[in-house]
Parts: sequence; structure tokens; C-alpha cells
Amino acid sequence: MQLINTILGGLSLGMVYAAFALALVLIWQSTRIVNFAQAPMAMVTTFIALTLIESGMNYWVAFVAALVAGFVLGALVERLIIRYVDHDNHINPVILTLGLFIVLHAVAAVIFGSNFQSFPAPFGLTGFSVGDTTFNLTPTSVFTILIVIAVMALLRLLFLKTDLGLTMRAAAFNQEVARILGVRVNRTLTLGWALASVVGSLSGLLIAAGGLVHPSYMDGVVVYGFVAAVLGGLDSPAGAVVGGLLMGVTLSLVSGYLGSGLVPLAALIVLVVVLLVRPGGLFSTSTERTV
Amino acid sequence: MKRTTIRAAAATSVAALILAGCGAGGRDGDSGDGGGGGDAAAEGDTTGITDTTIKIGDHKPLTGVAAPGYSEISTGAQAYYDWVNEAGGIHGRTIEYNVKDDGYNPTNTSKVVDELVLKDEVFAIVGGLGTPTHSAVVDFLNQEEVPDLMVSSGAQLWGNDPEKRPWTFGWQPDYEIEGKIMGQYIKENMPDAKVGLFLQGDELGADGEKGLRMYIDDQIVESVEYASGNTDVGPQISKLKASGADLVIGFNTPSYTALSQLVSMKLGYDPQWMYTNVGSDVNLVGSLLAKFSDGSVKDGSSALDGMMTTEYIPGLDTPDDPWVKLWQEVWDKHGEGELTNYRIFGMSQAYAFVSALQASGEDLTRERIVEVIEKDGANWPGPGLAPFRWSEESHLGMSGMAMSQTKGEDYENLTEVLVTDLGDAEITEGDTAAAEDAPPENGIPDVAVVE
Repeated sequence: MQLINTILGGLSLGMVYAAFALALVLIWQSTRIVNFAQAPMAMVTTFIALTLIESGMNYWVAFVAALVAGFVLGALVERLIIRYVDHDNHINPVILTLGLFIVLHAVAAVIFGSNFQSFPAPFGLTGFSVGDTTFNLTPTSVFTILIVIAVMALLRLLFLKTDLGLTMRAAAFNQEVARILGVRVNRTLTLGWALASVVGSLSGLLIAAGGLVHPSYMDGVVVYGFVAAVLGGLDSPAGAVVGGLLMGVTLSLVSGYLGSGLVPLAALIVLVVVLLVRPGGLFSTSTERTV
Repeated sequence: MKRTTIRAAAATSVAALILAGCGAGGRDGDSGDGGGGGDAAAEGDTTGITDTTIKIGDHKPLTGVAAPGYSEISTGAQAYYDWVNEAGGIHGRTIEYNVKDDGYNPTNTSKVVDELVLKDEVFAIVGGLGTPTHSAVVDFLNQEEVPDLMVSSGAQLWGNDPEKRPWTFGWQPDYEIEGKIMGQYIKENMPDAKVGLFLQGDELGADGEKGLRMYIDDQIVESVEYASGNTDVGPQISKLKASGADLVIGFNTPSYTALSQLVSMKLGYDPQWMYTNVGSDVNLVGSLLAKFSDGSVKDGSSALDGMMTTEYIPGLDTPDDPWVKLWQEVWDKHGEGELTNYRIFGMSQAYAFVSALQASGEDLTRERIVEVIEKDGANWPGPGLAPFRWSEESHLGMSGMAMSQTKGEDYENLTEVLVTDLGDAEITEGDTAAAEDAPPENGIPDVAVVE
């Protein structure tokens, strides 16, 4: 029973890591940047939702507003900051996102306060039960799992079946050629950041549901989400989801059977092993880039 | 070109460091001048004292994971110091209280305490909060010979070895005696309970477990630990549930009380809960849980109805207690917002420090206050239900507490005040005098100057 509940808990947590990894992969694919600021960006939009809910608004209105805020924030970050960094040196934009990480933290603490606050859940928080046994699977975690799957399907549709998706893939594949072919590369880059930020915001809302939020509540997620993305392969959206699920279940098992203090260490070991054995990730299709 | 720049930069930094070093030294030398009862009789260190003021410092988590509740403590202490200052201070000196935020992060604690001691030159650190955080500075304070009084933590480190840490004194009952008192209660009143332990992975959990195991080792069926900072306690609670424990004892901080309640609700796990005093504030935990009331959680504090815990100072549930009446009066005059149990904690602690100042007399020095607390501290009346253990052999804080249980938003005592000490010291019913003494009329401790 403990095993089943630990795995079930890991699955819904894994779905959140998956959504977050997906956001990282989206930006990596289009710009070759690992966006560490994804976590505090999601934290900010979650706090926006919380503020709206506390002012008496419906949960779903606040939910949508947070996603819209995520879209705008992602576009603004790309438009106003990332675009002006020297992209020839790969490390520059990454360091910049780390700086943004710290700035957003501080700003959020000033605006929203740094106390723990509870965040409501859209559905019930009592696990389903069969007879006398209650499973660690609540209506809210079912919602989490379904919505991440839906988002993944939508993104797949967008990239494979629409013109917009085609131009975005083209811009990511080769900016120069895409430009010559008439793709407005700058615009698709902004859109890529905005979409990624929406998915990141979603993961923020999902992990907050029925839990406690404070300015650093997403910090763990950025680490585990990043490891999940590397595990699945930074180039593969499907890999990000599988990686997220694997991380969620693995870390839950480590926490339940080995010790809660070993969770960050376990994530680090996974990261090191992946980088040593299969640097491209489980689902990598492209060959390794040589320098 | 580049190399010269680097060299220049390096040279500048070295120069700056040396200057900073000189500066600190210079200030140290000066501190005597403004200091002290002035007369030659006051032998000893008078840093932070003038004829009219005493400057003290404190580190508290005002932000971050431990901030809920704990950040209110210093507002209570400040209100009480304002109250004392308004009445003219103690022996003609008013108290300047500097509290700095360490975010419950030991690295920050070192930084802010360095600042308080070396830059602000405080007389003493009073009420520094947290086991991991204060552990980071306790050696520094003893090395610098700065009085380190009334540490807000139940770890034993502050008081079990006065030879090693002569400048440090505990305040609240330590977690081991809390565990012992809980253990004895369970052994006597719930001998058939299957006990599960939910422990923070540090001294808080370890000392509590040690005390409990002295009495109910054979009743404990499972013990889980969480790492502070990792907010997913699902795997831990699943393990407790699987073990069949029907009484879960938590030695954890308030946020984790809320988290453990949340996860248990998810899992449909409904044992009898018992939490350490430091994690059990019903109002705070209730407000964290209040939003999850969509039919699945009983709203707010009623989620905690029937929870057991311990008490060592009177709180808001006994508004007619003369101490609580005094705190309410102090707070109405000098505070903003609601009086809370955390603010009462801060005031009670400040009261003990002011007693020490009172007993030290006019010729206050760092050496003097430590000597006075060792000699006389155990006799001072105060809000504590049990007396302090302070002496030359022990610097541990209060010696006992009472078991209590929540009824709605109130607590109901399950036992008299029980008094004990570390190890196999017996648990006895406390001397009622300590629990029944009332504050003086003006709210300022009335203790005689120690010869």
C-alpha cells in the first residue's frame, strides 16, 4: 500500500516536473538557451492568480489570467532583455536568466510578501478510496495529469500540423535560411518564449494547488525539471514528459524508502549518470554537437 | 593590459581588507569610552552600554520557510522593551533592540551576527532563534565573550555544557524533556496506542525522539524524517499510514504541521495527532489550512481539533491569566495588529532578559550579567509555568511544561505542570508557585540586585 501511494504521489508530482521540463525544452529548441528564470516567472504568475482569488474572483478566471500573464511575461522577457544579449557566446544568456531568477525573487518578496500562503485547489483534495483503502490520488491530481497530457497534445498539434508551427520549427532549425524564406524570425522567437512561459506558469499553478506557496516554492521544481529535461533529452518534448514522470516517481521512492534528505542528491546522481552514459538524453535524435 | 587591471584590483581589495581590519580594531578600543557605569568599579566589558542606553541584538527569520509565526516574535519583544523604556528603562538605561533577518539560513545568521557584534557593537544577543541557525554563531559568540542569552530553540547545546559555552543560556524547555513528558503521558494514559513519529531531520527531531523512547520505545511502530525545505511529505505520511500508527507525534515546525495535515487528508489518514509546542500554534496552522475548505478539509483550526501538545507559558487561550492581561495591555499600547501567541513568546522572553538587567544593578558589564543569571536566575518570577534551570552547572532553560489538548481554538490542560531534567531525571509535578505567580502592577520585573 505504501508503495502504491508513494508511486501515485510521484506520478502527479512527475507530471508537474514534466510540464516544467517541457517549458525548458520549448525555449531550448528555439533559442538554445536554458531558461533558469522559468521558475520565478511561474512563481510570479501563480502569485497573480492567488491575489485575484483572494480578491474574490473565481478560481478558473484566476487560472486563465495567470496563464495570460505568463504569456505576456514570457514575451516581455524575450523582447526587452534576452534579445539584447550576445547570443554568440552560449553562456551569456544563461547567466542572464540566472540573474533574472534572483531579481524576480526579490521583487516578488517585496510585492507579495515572503510568508507561506495556502493556495486553493480546483477540485477535492481527498484521495479516492476503494473500500477501506484510500489512494494517494485526488481529483486535483487527476486534473493535473489530464491537463499536462492535453497541453502536450496541443503543442504537438501546433508544431506538426499548423503553418505557425512549421515557421517556428524552421526558425529554430536555421534562422538565416528561415529569414530568406520569409519567416519573421524575431516574431517567432518572441512567440516561442511566450508559449514556454505559459507552460511554465501552468506547472506553477499545478504544483501550488492544495499546497503552500512562497517566493521560493518553485526552486526545487527548477532543479528537478531541469534534470527531467536532460534525462529525456533537451531536444525532445516527449522525452521531457517521460523524464518528468521518471524523476517524479524516482524521487518519491527515494524520499519514502531511503530518506527525504537524499532527494536532491538522487537528482544529482541521475544528472551525472545521464551526462556520462547518454549525454543527449534518452530520447535524443540529433547527434551530439561538437565544438 | 588586462593583467595590470587585475593586479590593481587585487591590490585595492587587499588594501580595503587591511583598512577594514584596522577600523574594527579601532572601534573595539573606543568602545570603553562611551561605556559603562563610568566609574572604575565596573571592571569588565561594557561594550554596547552607556549611562543611558543598552544596545542588544537578535537574529530571527523575518522571511522564508520559518517566517510564518516566528517573524512575529520580535514585534512582541519590541513592544515590551518600549513598555520598559517608557517607564524610564532599567537602572536609568533604556533598551535599544536591533533585530536582523537571517531567513532561517545559517550562512545569513553568521553574517548578521557578525554585523551586530563587530559593527553595531551590541552588549548581548538576546533571543536568537533556531537550532541550525544559532549553531552557526554560538562558538563565535563565546569566543568573542558576548552574552548569548535566552536562545529561542529547545536544543540542548545552549545549556548542557556551561564550561564549553559559558556565555550562552537557553530559554524554553528543551526537546528532550518535552519528549519525556509526552512519553510518560502516553505510557500512562494511552498504553495501547501504536505510535508513529514525524520528525524534522535535525536536533528537533532527534532530541524529541530520545525523550519519547525513554518511555514508549515498545509502542513506537514507525519513525519517519523529513528534510526541512523539501515540502513534499507525501512519502513520509504514506509510510506512517502503512505502519498502522494510530497516534502520530510530530517534532516539526508550524509549516510542516500544516503540510502533514494536508497530506494526511489526501491519504484519508486520521490518527490522533500530537505536536511539539514549537509546531503547534492552532491559529497559525489553522490560517494556513483555512483555504482548503471545499468540502474536503474541515475549515481552519477545526482541522486541528483534538490535537495534543505541550504548554510552558500562558497564552491567548487563557485571557484572564494575569500575565496574558499584562501582555494585552503592553500590546494595546505599543503594538500594531493582533496579539498572537508568538508575540507573547517574545514578550515573555524579553521579560526574562529585563529581570536579568534588573538583578545586575547599575554596574552592568558582560561578565556581571552572566554571573547574575547563574547565581539567581532560577529564582526569578515570570510567566513560565516552571522555573529556569540556570546555575553554574547548567545553562538550560525552563524545566517543565504541561500537556494540553485543543478544543476548537482553545487549549485545555491534560496534566499539571510536570518538571524534569535531561537523562533519567525523574518527572515530578512542579512547584505550583512558578505557575501561579503574577506580574507586578507596573509590569516591570521586581527582582533584587544580586550582591
